[in-house]
Order: sequence, then C-alpha cells, then structure tokens
Amino acid sequence: MSPKEVSAGIFEITNRGGKQLATKNLVPGTSVYGEKLVGIEDCEYRIWNPKRSKLAAMVIKKFNVPIAQDSKVLYLGAASGTTVSHVSDIVPDGIVYAVEFSPRTMRDLIGLCDVRPNIVPILADANRPQLYAHIVEEVDVIFQDVAQPNQSEIAVLNAKRFLKRDGNLLLSIKARSIDTVANPKKVFKEEVRKLEHGFDVGFKVLDSRELAPFHEDHLGILARVRN
Amino acid sequence: MRIITWFGTLTPGENGSVAEWELFPKDTDALARMLVQPKEPGMDMPPAGFELRAAAIECGFVTSNDEYNELLRDVSIRAAKYRISSGTPDMGMIQAVEALDDISETANTLSERLAEWYGLYFPEVGLSSETLARFVAKYGSRSGISPDDDLYGKAASSMGAELTGLDEELVKGFAGNICTMYDTRSRIEEYIVTSMESSAPNLTNIAGALIGARLVSMAGGLERLARFPSSTVQVIGANRALFKHLRGRAPSPKHGIIFNHPHIRNALWWQRGKIARALAAKISLAVRMDVYSGELNESLKTGLDKKIESIRAANPKPPKRDNKGGRGKGSHKNKYKKNEKTGGRK
Ligand SMILES: C[S@@+](CC[C@H](N)C(=O)[O-])C[C@H]1O[C@@H](n2cnc3c(N)ncnc32)[C@H](O)[C@@H]1O
Repeated sequence: MSPKEVSAGIFEITNRGGKQLATKNLVPGTSVYGEKLVGIEDCEYRIWNPKRSKLAAMVIKKFNVPIAQDSKVLYLGAASGTTVSHVSDIVPDGIVYAVEFSPRTMRDLIGLCDVRPNIVPILADANRPQLYAHIVEEVDVIFQDVAQPNQSEIAVLNAKRFLKRDGNLLLSIKARSIDTVANPKKVFKEEVRKLEHGFDVGFKVLDSRELAPFHEDHLGILARVRN
Repeated sequence: MRIITWFGTLTPGENGSVAEWELFPKDTDALARMLVQPKEPGMDMPPAGFELRAAAIECGFVTSNDEYNELLRDVSIRAAKYRISSGTPDMGMIQAVEALDDISETANTLSERLAEWYGLYFPEVGLSSETLARFVAKYGSRSGISPDDDLYGKAASSMGAELTGLDEELVKGFAGNICTMYDTRSRIEEYIVTSMESSAPNLTNIAGALIGARLVSMAGGLERLARFPSSTVQVIGANRALFKHLRGRAPSPKHGIIFNHPHIRNALWWQRGKIARALAAKISLAVRMDVYSGELNESLKTGLDKKIESIRAANPKPPKRDNKGGRGKGSHKNKYKKNEKTGGRK
C-alpha cells in the first residue's frame, strides 16, 4: 500500500504492524539512530517513532505542521539529532539551523551533519541568540525542545530575532522542567499566558495539545507572532 | 554601524541594501576560525530581520542559494569541531573548583581578621563574614551609619572606640577587598553551574552543580569519574581515609563529599548509609550517561526519588541499639532529633 502524505514530507505507512509515521530518507541506505528503513516503490522511508520525538507526536496529535519542502527551520535543543534528522528529510530544498549547547551531544550531531547536506550545526546557548545572529538568517519556523525552566522566554528571544513576520513557532513545553511539583495543567496554562502576554513580543497561540501518551506532561504549542 | 557576519563585515545602507563591505577570505578553514574567535570589539551583531543571505549574494560572496547553504554548512561543521576539541571543558572546571575553595578559605580568614579589627570600634555589631564586610565597606566608622540602617541605634550607644582618619581608611579598604573576593567567589560559582549544566547535565541534575563539580575535580575529570565504581563515588573526598581505603589498608570511610547533599544531610541517621549508597549508584549512572550520550535523562532523578521514598518507608524507626555501638550514635542523638522535622523533605 502506498504511503499517504499527511503533511508536506511526512507520510503515514500502513503495514502489518498498523499505521506508522515516516519521512523520505534524504540519504538512502543510512539509518541515523537505529530506526527502521522501509522501501516502497523506489523510495526509501525512515520510520519515525512518536515516543522518540515531540514533533512526531505533534503530527499524530493532528497539529498543522507548517514546514514545507523549502522551509528554513531554526531548531533549538537539537540534542544528538534524532528529530533533526527527520526535519532534514522534510526540507530537502530548505535548511535546518540546529542549536545545541552540550558539547558532548554536539559530537553526535556533527556526525549527522557530516552526512546530511542541509543541517548547519551551532554550538551555542539558546538563551543568547545574539551570539549566533551572524550565522542564522530569518526563518519560516522555529522548533524548540530545550526542557529548560525559561522555555517561553527562550522562544520569545529567538522569535524576535529570527522568525519571519508570518512565521510559525512550534514549541514543546515540559511541565517538570518548569516546576517539578505543580500540577502540569496549571504550568501549561501559565506558559500559554506568558507566551501571549508575558513579554514585549506577544504570540498568538493557534493550537495546543498535550503530547501524552507519547510524552507525559508535555504540551505541544503552535503559535505565531501577533502583529 | 558596522556589523559582523560569518562571511565578512558590512555597513548596512538604505532599505536593506549593503553600503559597504569587507569580505573574509572564501576558505572553509579560515571562515571557521573566524567563527570560533571571540568577536572584535566595536562590531555589532546583525539586527533582527537583517537578510544575511541576500547580503552575501549582493556583495558577491556567493552566487547562489545552494552555494550559500553549502559553504555555511561546511564552515559551521568545521567551527563546531574546533570548539569541541579546543581543550576539554573539564580542565577549566577543575581549576575553578580549586579556586573556589582557595578563595573561600582566604575570604574566611580575612573576615575573621576584620571582625576582630572592627570589633575594637563597634563590638556590638553582631555581623560576621560577608555581611560584616559589606557593612563596613559601606559605612566605615559608626558615625557614617545611615539612620535607615537597623544597626543605627546600636551604633549610637556603642561602647567601642572612635574609628577615625587613617584607621578608618584602612579598615574600610580592607573590608572592600573582602567584598571583591566574595563577588569573585559568586562569579566562579556561576561559572561552575553553567559549565556543569552543559558538560554534565545528568550529574548536575542528580548531585547538584557544586557537589558534581567537586566529584569531577577530585576524580581528575568526568571520564575518569565514569570509570569509578559507585562504592568509590560514595567516599570520594573523605581525604586521607579515602586514599588508605583505595590502597586496601583501611575499611571504607563513610563520609565522602556526597554527604553534603541535602538528601543525606537532612536524612535520619539510620537511613543515611542506605540513602548514600542509592545516591552514589545514581551518580555513577548519571556520569556514564553524560560521558556516553550527553543528553539529560529525567528518569534518573525520578528513579532516585522513588528509591529514597522506599528507603524512608522501609526504615521508619531507628534500629535497636546494641551496647557496643551505642556510644558513637548516642552522641549524635540531639542533632538528629532536630533534623527529624525537616528530615522528610527535600
Ligand atoms: C529534550 S532534548 C531534545 C531532543 C531532541 N529535540 C530530539 O527530539 O531529538 C533537549 C536538548 O536541549 C538542549 N538544551 C537545553 N538547554 C539549552 C539551551 N539553553 N541552549 C541550547 N540547547 C539547550 C539539551 O542539551 C538537550 O540536548
């Protein structure tokens, strides 16, 4: 059965095991982190597990993913590149600026960049966008998954500098990095409020859904800068 | 305004164009080295909304979007590789931890001197260490104390001698120096916290930045720490006793650095040993994760919290004391009583 494109560059493959998410492998023949490769009609797909990626979970949760084939994406909290590799598949004609501040993790990410033509690795602290403003251009999408107590502030700082006026912010909020004991629902509400009214640049939250059961106590958010 | 970009320095002109530019040599290695270097003073970073890519094409640095992407990617990869290999961050951290200890010790010695010295002039002041230094540096003699200060009344009725002239200048300057030392100490602490969070996120999450940094420092680096069994981690920092133990000549000393961890310090005495073992085991795991993946894994912390909960639940009462071991523990009795109130909390 042929794959169904559920969003630009993101496919749903139906096989014996049921439905699975996948992206078209930009570098056929290589698996990045042990994910399964599936060949269908001269195309190779990489299976994308929502438990291992907030973005994949957002796709399954029916978020509108505003990433196109030629999008420019600023990815904050790239880690070793599990999700970044799929974003790289989704934007064959675009570019991914991947920011990560842990040098050890960066080692793995560089390995990934070496074999993929459209990822620019940046070893930097996402709290200080002024330190990579000479490298990163204006982007269509910011995706952020940093698990830090000041997640919404980081998003705002970066959006102010790098997000196009009609660009989109995709954010994964982790309740327990903000407050380890408070009720996650309360934390989420407060973060949404902060994004909308807490800073000099306001966002309009277009969509927000919890990412359970794939990621407990995580909230996915899609937002735009309010003009 | 002169702005710096990864491909050269520019002066922006009217409506988004570039008025003037000076391009860097178009060579991957040279460009990467420019990226790694600290920025030159007097150069601004591009303002929000500046179109880097359009500028690079306008100045003729590259001729197409594809060329821009390809070159930027190669340069960034090279730069990231340089930054990772430029000395292990551990070494700077180890020095910082030692500097922190030195400066704390010195600041304490000098603070004691200040207390004695200033005590001649204001024996009732009732402050010590950093608070005293800040107080003296601010006001000098008793007559300089502001009426808004809580100590104003006490100062007016003090039995101390008058502090004037050269004496006042000296004491005040001395206090000022101590304050600078405390400032430096907090900057070093901040440095340790940030660098631990990035180089050892899991260890920091479990042990806290400062205890984690001390463990790394005493082990001689994160990778070496990763090779220690958790029984050793538990006793790191028990100094002489530790070295004897490592050479196989003495039983394991119980009190390593990790005994400063709030989980253990606030624990009830009969639970301490068990909690220390659990904490040491998680620290070992955390360090290995930091060395091999570098990604923060929250499940370690939840696992530890659960384990500690179960230790508390399983050992609600002190064991019955036998007569042999009685004395040592008995002498601690009062201290532990006091802790009982806070013992259950983190
Ligand atoms: C939950 S992980 C991201 C996982 C990744 N998005 C994926 O799905 O493959 C969070 C990452 O953000 C990084 N991080 C945390 N704070 C950061 C900051 N201030 N700047 C840059 N990276 C940061 C951490 O080092 C960690 O690798």
